Amino acid sequence: MLPDHRLVRPAADPVIVALTVNGEPARMTVETRTSLADALRDELGLTGTHVACEQGVCGACTVEVDGEAVRACLLLAVQAEGAEVRTVEGLAAPDEPLHPIQQAFTDHHALQCGFCTPGLLMTAHRLLTERRGLDEHEVRTVVSGHLCRCTGYQGIVDAILHADRAWERPDAPAAPTPPEEGP
Amino acid sequence: MVGVRDADASSSLGARLPRFEDGPLVRGRGRFTADVPPARCLHAGFVRSPHPHALVDGVDVARAMSAPGVVSVLTAADLPHIPLVDAVAVPGLVRTPQPALAGERVRFVGEAVAMVLAGSRALAEDAADLVEVRYAVLPPVVDPRTATALPPLDPTLSSNEVYRGERATPGLEAAFAAADHVVEGTFSTGRLTAAPMEGRACSATFDPVAGALTVRSSTQSPHLLQRKIATCLGMDLAAVRVLVDDVGGGFGQKIPASPEEVAVALAARAVGRPVLWVEDRRENTVAGPQGKDQRVELALALDADGTFRALRCDVLGDAGAYSFNSASALIEAYLAAGLLPGAYRIPETGWRVRSVLTTKAPIAPYRGVGWTGGHTARELLIDRAARLLGRDPLDLRRQNLIRPGDLPYTTPTGMTYDSGSHLATIERAAKLVDAANVLPGPTADGHYRGVGISPYVEPSGWGSAGAAESSWSFASHDSVRVEMAASGAVTAVVGTPSQGQGHATSLAQVVASVLTCDPRRVRVVTGDTAGTPLSTAGTRASRVATVIGGALLHATERLAEKLALVAGHLLGADPGEISFRDGRAVAPSGSVGLAEIATAAVADPAVRAALPEPDLTATAFYDPPATYSNGCVAVVVDVDPGTGRVDVVDAAVVEDCGTVINPMIVDGQTLGAFAQGVGAALYEDADHAADGVPRATSFADYLLPTARCLPRVALEHLESPAPHTRGGIKGMGESAMIATPGAVACAVAAAVAPLGITVTHTPIRPHELVDPHRGPAR
Repeated sequence: MLPDHRLVRPAADPVIVALTVNGEPARMTVETRTSLADALRDELGLTGTHVACEQGVCGACTVEVDGEAVRACLLLAVQAEGAEVRTVEGLAAPDEPLHPIQQAFTDHHALQCGFCTPGLLMTAHRLLTERRGLDEHEVRTVVSGHLCRCTGYQGIVDAILHADRAWERPDAPAAPTPPEEGP
Repeated sequence: MVGVRDADASSSLGARLPRFEDGPLVRGRGRFTADVPPARCLHAGFVRSPHPHALVDGVDVARAMSAPGVVSVLTAADLPHIPLVDAVAVPGLVRTPQPALAGERVRFVGEAVAMVLAGSRALAEDAADLVEVRYAVLPPVVDPRTATALPPLDPTLSSNEVYRGERATPGLEAAFAAADHVVEGTFSTGRLTAAPMEGRACSATFDPVAGALTVRSSTQSPHLLQRKIATCLGMDLAAVRVLVDDVGGGFGQKIPASPEEVAVALAARAVGRPVLWVEDRRENTVAGPQGKDQRVELALALDADGTFRALRCDVLGDAGAYSFNSASALIEAYLAAGLLPGAYRIPETGWRVRSVLTTKAPIAPYRGVGWTGGHTARELLIDRAARLLGRDPLDLRRQNLIRPGDLPYTTPTGMTYDSGSHLATIERAAKLVDAANVLPGPTADGHYRGVGISPYVEPSGWGSAGAAESSWSFASHDSVRVEMAASGAVTAVVGTPSQGQGHATSLAQVVASVLTCDPRRVRVVTGDTAGTPLSTAGTRASRVATVIGGALLHATERLAEKLALVAGHLLGADPGEISFRDGRAVAPSGSVGLAEIATAAVADPAVRAALPEPDLTATAFYDPPATYSNGCVAVVVDVDPGTGRVDVVDAAVVEDCGTVINPMIVDGQTLGAFAQGVGAALYEDADHAADGVPRATSFADYLLPTARCLPRVALEHLESPAPHTRGGIKGMGESAMIATPGAVACAVAAAVAPLGITVTHTPIRPHELVDPHRGPAR
């Protein structure tokens, strides 16, 4: 027998979300239950944001929202109303050279299949925007928030350490606070 | 880098070239299956069994059909088709057909029973909740050791045992009888899942006018999928086209045709609209093909001085619910037995292999296949033997490893190791982790350290001959095409898609090595069965570098002969005098660039008049002889006896895959496989509870290693070119996944031996390592 709690959800009226994506104004028409990741992909065609676990574990869908690296599968699109969102497509325009972090990823063989890569790039971008002079332990701690099945992470760690030195950026403070010791 | 020659400007082989495929991927502009839904497609959501074993008494789709956005709800009765069948033909193997959707019976949790097609995935999932399936629950078959005592999963079978075989060398029993020592052990390798970051995904579009089906899939084997879908749907092979662009990891899981792929194709034909299915993580973890899961009983006969005399095994494989198509119930236990001697001189061997059906997701290839489980068991046994004999494990291995003078060496199981560096790699790996100075017993902080040394052989580059040496039938049929455009740009067309292995770069390097041109001038094209030469097997079994690389060498040499004809005409030279240097055809009378040659072949009337077929296309077929890679993984672990926590604190992999095409890519494959091996040894567990329900359903409980779980791994390459394959190329994609779980398990076993704890299975769970004499944690 069908359990009683399985009710058909009423078809909600779509909601229009206005926001800024990669510096351009954008509008998305979504159901209230639609995740930001799905909305970016389906409404705006920004398919560089990948969905791999839909529960915030793997980090593949990481984007920047108002200057924070967030998991776009755990945020509803309606929560991004008025927000400034940056996706992997926003790191470098198609006709621009690669962003120094992207360049470091290819130089250090930090990707194989490339599915987890956009999320890692966005986390690295946020990390290096805020900090500089990182050591390997710190980078491994941050990277451990992402799952990659191909690389064993060594190339990713090396790429971020290299990008920390190579990316000429204005605002990153020079005296970082080491992250807490974790498992 | 030890042993790898410097790549000079004239040779692209051996160059550490960054990958050509990276640009689109780091820009977020890859093309994965979910990124390119067909126009007007319907989204599929599957209704999956919550029971490991049950009869399906009825499926009521009425409420689901009336749910918002639903176009169709399909069950097995709506989609008649020919079921999927294991293609492997090993005498004695019982092959069990698997339907796209379960009809009368479900055999594992997650097996698809019905399929909802709706305007979005969310609506399809809403409606899937409303499909009412009436099940008559049957007892699950969980423990392979008792599987034969339970009624067969398929009423046409006489037993749940689908394979039993025995083999032994004539002197086996005498060797055991004469041995000074016999060391025994039983070891098991837990059930794993490949967990590619992109799950399975496919779309299908049926053209009723042309009677043609176009399938886009995240597959490793497009031609195999084409053949399976054509068979299941009763279509001509040529009417089915399979497209593959970027694939987010495969590791073997995407070799077989999935029942879901067949269901999507059937549904697209049945409803007359394109259908897209993108697997979510729960589906992949629970219902996707799984890997490993075998139990190995071993006995090793030794002389008093430690010389190995004989090795015997009894392997029991858990096949899951079906002898899976193109993978087979034999992919684990049978292959484990074939590689029983590994890298050691063992004159006599014997094996018994059984594979049984259970009510779990079917076992498919996962990187290293059965070789991982057999290797792990053997290495743990050798460490046990060393402890019993009071020998240093490294020294006992050194004594029994294949020596340079033994090569080529034929194992008693029928594999002929063509070349290798078995002793050199173990010495180097042991030195890199300073194994001699890892002292047993507690360290100053009360932790226990152990070192694990795991020398391996990888049967690589599978063609027919390599498969035959594993007593395996394998349809190895691979062709390639190389073309030069009027601009001098080269296109290499192959049937083996990449799931991250970097073929667009490494195969371009192979082609460029013949033409002496810049590899960037070579574009590697794949992923469309309508245009790529046949690769029956696709990308698997560490075979692309050897098989496709070898075929490309040959095809490019044929293209170079054609270029020499044109160049000879242009330079007034005999084509036999032409050689290629720096991307130019050189004769005593002068030289001409590839672009000029190509332009002349296409457009120069004089060339056309002189050469009846100035065609710059060349094809080649290659089915290589067997070849074997080797190497050694060495790790040092630190075990906290209070918590059972294991840290891999140091590691080295020294590998030898013959001629290295791109050492950066070899490094990447090695590091990735090493990480998967650490996961297999310590974290990953797709076990099922006693009631047959899978314990892991997501990345929250199927634990992949993270960057903090892994040490920096020292890598070195030695090169023993294969004497018989084209270019001396061997495969290496699985090596570290064969040997790393054994290295970690041996290291842990060594660390906790002083505590009286033994290690007999992977994954090793922390509670098993807690010092029993310590009392409860404070």
